[in-house]
Formats: sequence, C-alpha cells, structure tokens
Amino acid sequence: MCGFRSKMTKLAALLGSMLLAATALLAGDAYSWNLPKEFPRPYVPSDNPMTDAKVELGRYMFYDKRLSVNGTQSCASCHKQALAFTDGRAVGVGATRESHSRNAMSLVNVAYAAVLTWSNPKMNRLEDQALVPMFGEHPIELGLHERDALPSAMRADAKYRDLFSRAFPGEKDAFTVTNAVKALACFERSIVSAGSPYDRYHYLRDDSAIPDSAKRGEVLFFSQQLSCFRCHGGFNFSDATATERTADRAVEFHNTGLYINGSPNLGIYEFTKAPADVGKFKAPTLRNIAATAPYMHDGSIPTLEGVLDHYAAGGRNGHTIPTRII
Amino acid sequence: MHRTSFRLIPVALASALLAFGQDWPPQTLTVSGDISSPLVLKPDDLLKMTRQKVSVPDQDGTTIEYEGVPLRDILIRAGAPMGKELRGKALASYVLAKARDGYQVVFTIAEVAPEFANEPILVADKRDGKPLFGYQGPFRLVCPNDKAGARSVRMLQDIEIVRLQK
Repeated sequence: MCGFRSKMTKLAALLGSMLLAATALLAGDAYSWNLPKEFPRPYVPSDNPMTDAKVELGRYMFYDKRLSVNGTQSCASCHKQALAFTDGRAVGVGATRESHSRNAMSLVNVAYAAVLTWSNPKMNRLEDQALVPMFGEHPIELGLHERDALPSAMRADAKYRDLFSRAFPGEKDAFTVTNAVKALACFERSIVSAGSPYDRYHYLRDDSAIPDSAKRGEVLFFSQQLSCFRCHGGFNFSDATATERTADRAVEFHNTGLYINGSPNLGIYEFTKAPADVGKFKAPTLRNIAATAPYMHDGSIPTLEGVLDHYAAGGRNGHTIPTRII
Repeated sequence: MHRTSFRLIPVALASALLAFGQDWPPQTLTVSGDISSPLVLKPDDLLKMTRQKVSVPDQDGTTIEYEGVPLRDILIRAGAPMGKELRGKALASYVLAKARDGYQVVFTIAEVAPEFANEPILVADKRDGKPLFGYQGPFRLVCPNDKAGARSVRMLQDIEIVRLQK
C-alpha cells in the first residue's frame, strides 16, 4: 500500500511539473539564454522569470526618453550599447544636468552581478536598482516623481499597451512601476557577453583568436606576481559574480587606492561605517572593458594602461588609508 | 595585493614570457629532491601512466572534470618513501609543488600515501577532455577534497620531495 502511495505521489509530482512547464510555455515563459556550455546560467529571482515579452518591453522602455522628467534622457543616455552600455563620461550626468559622483557602470553581464552599483552591499536586485535612477533625488538621474508613477504620455501610447499586456498577460492594469522595473530588469539580464575573441581562444581553443601579446598578458594576469585574477577571476572576470547555483555567494569589496580625504566616494564605508571599509569598491567585470573608458568608480583614469600604472604605483598620491590596496 | 609585490615581477618570469610562442611554456614536469629516481616527465609520459578523472565544482557552480595521473603514482615512480618505507624518519617528509610563476604549496607525504590520508590529488593534464594550456597548463594539481582551491597549483613545473630527517 505504501509502495502504491509512493508511486502515485511520484506520478502526481511528475504530472504537476509537466503541467507547470506546459503553462509556462503557453504564457511565453520559455526564454533561451543562448549561452555557451561553459557559462553557467545566471540567477533570476523567482518572482520575475525571464520571458521574451518582458525583454522586448524592457528594451523599448530602456531607450524611451519619456521615462525622464523632462523628456531628455532614457536609461540608454548613460548606458550606450556602442560603449558596452556606459556613457564615455568620467561621471554620469542626469536629466537636469546634475552630475553623479560616480562613473556609469557597464550593464554587460549584469545578470551575473552579485551586487549592483559600485559599492552598495545591500543592492542585489535589478528590479530594486532600476528605481534609483528613475526616482532618486541624490543625485537626480531620470528625475521622475514618485507621485506621478509612470509618465502619462507612456500610458497613452498604444505600443506600450500592447507590450505591457503581452509581457504581463491577465493583469487588469499591467501598466505599473512594479511591472516596468521587472521588464527593465529582464532586458538588462539579457545583455550577455560570451563570444569575445578571448572566449574563442580560451573555450574553443582557437589559437588565432587573440595575439601572442594577449596570451602573455593572460599568463601575467593569472600569475602570483600580479594576481589580477584574485579580484577579476572566473568566467566573468569579477569576484562579485553570482550564478544560478551561487546566488548566495558573499561578495568582497576591495580598496582600489583612489581614496583621498574629502572624496565624496567613500565606498562601502557609506553603508557599513567601518573605518576599514573606506575606499572599498566592487571589482566590476572586465568583459568589454576596452569599450568602457574612462575607468574606476570615479572615472578618473582615462585608459587601461593608466589603470595598470595606477596599481603598479601602489595607488594614487594622497592615498592615506592604513589598509593595503586590494 | 601588496604594492611592492606588484613592482617586483621577477626578471625570470618577464624574460621567459618574451620567449612566448617558441618553447614557452616548458612542456616538462620535473620531480626532484630526496628521492632515488629523479624524473623529467613530458605530456606523453603521463599519457602512458594509469589515468584517473576527478570532478570538482568551479567557483561559478559548474562542474569541471580533470584528467591526469595520481600524484602518489608519480611519487612512487620517483622513489619517494611510500608503503612500508613510510615510517619513522620518513614521515618527516614533504612535497613542495612549484608553479612556473613562482607560486608554491606544500603537502606532507603522508597526505597522499594510501596507508595514511590517501588524498586523491591529481597531476592533471586535461580539463573537460582538452589539454591544459595557457595559464592553466600544461600540468596542474587538482586537490578534490580541499575546500579552497589554492593548493590546486596551476602551471605546475616542479615537484620536490624533501626529507627533513634522514
């Protein structure tokens, strides 16, 4: 009897999982990451599964300047695809021309980012982070007012009605801030870099994919003497990387030798208030790094060669904190 | 990273890298020290020895399969104290694994001996079926039971056996 019950339970579980899969397919939930087999799947929060319809809506919204207070900026103003989703400026400039204190981060492989922004140990959901540029006031970025929710001009757009209803089927009023940030997050997670010349060399063993100088650089990068890999290791070249199987991974932040007394950028100290955390920032991914100049959290180094010189010099003049770099 | 370590890239490493593409990296693994039969192993030599595979988790949660020769088999072939010889003063012996970039780690000889810890440490030459290359190879250690990966030496170049008491 127990055996029969056990078999029936397993059968019910199997049928249940098949039903869930079929429902997901009917709702358009099947999303293809199209990742190379060497790449793990990114972590995706259970309350916002990836769908093509949400990615499409998120992409449309990402480039829409109506998402700013004065119609002058979209997400893409600071995250230009041609610059690996950065803006080429030292620090970002918002819709009201207010400067940000930090360099616009690349969105490449942001689905793998264990924490978001340069130095907020608490921010790990793209759905939450998207609210900051939309509604934040310190500094003003897109400058939307919370009381206005999403701009009415967007609601009146038939294109949006169609995109929202397809992305969030069955909802009476899908045009909400909650759904907007879910769609933006899905689009951002879809920005995956996995087919670089380095990937062809490293994973496909194509010796002609990168020059010998790059191969020498790789050995130095992973050598004990330089140890670049200690902060920028793994397939994503960042130790602040989370995947489907490592979503709870603890993130380390690193002193990058840029801190100067009086700087507005104090790193994770701004959250922890621990003196040892002054000047500690996230190690960002190095994927597409050639396209994301200028560099560092404050955009203060114009070139990659300059970044290497900075670390080789042991940090910037005036670097006075007691802890060592990295 | 300490700032001085960044400045002092050994001349040997830098000059060796200049020869990259010619005989770089060296395709041999030397086994030396207080042993009766020092070895200079080439990739083909490892292919002729008893091969083993181990699967280890990568940092990103994926699984990597390494293939190669158990370190203990190489130590036995080199005449390191093993079996009945591994007692008394011989137990004060260690294995120093050195990488091409100067990185070094140590194992006690009893760690790999079947009569003691019997750790399945592998001298690997393949990863997921493909020969190791670049900053990984051509040889590396894989310590599947270590919680951290720091003793799984990449670019393994030398294995030295040291007997502290003779």
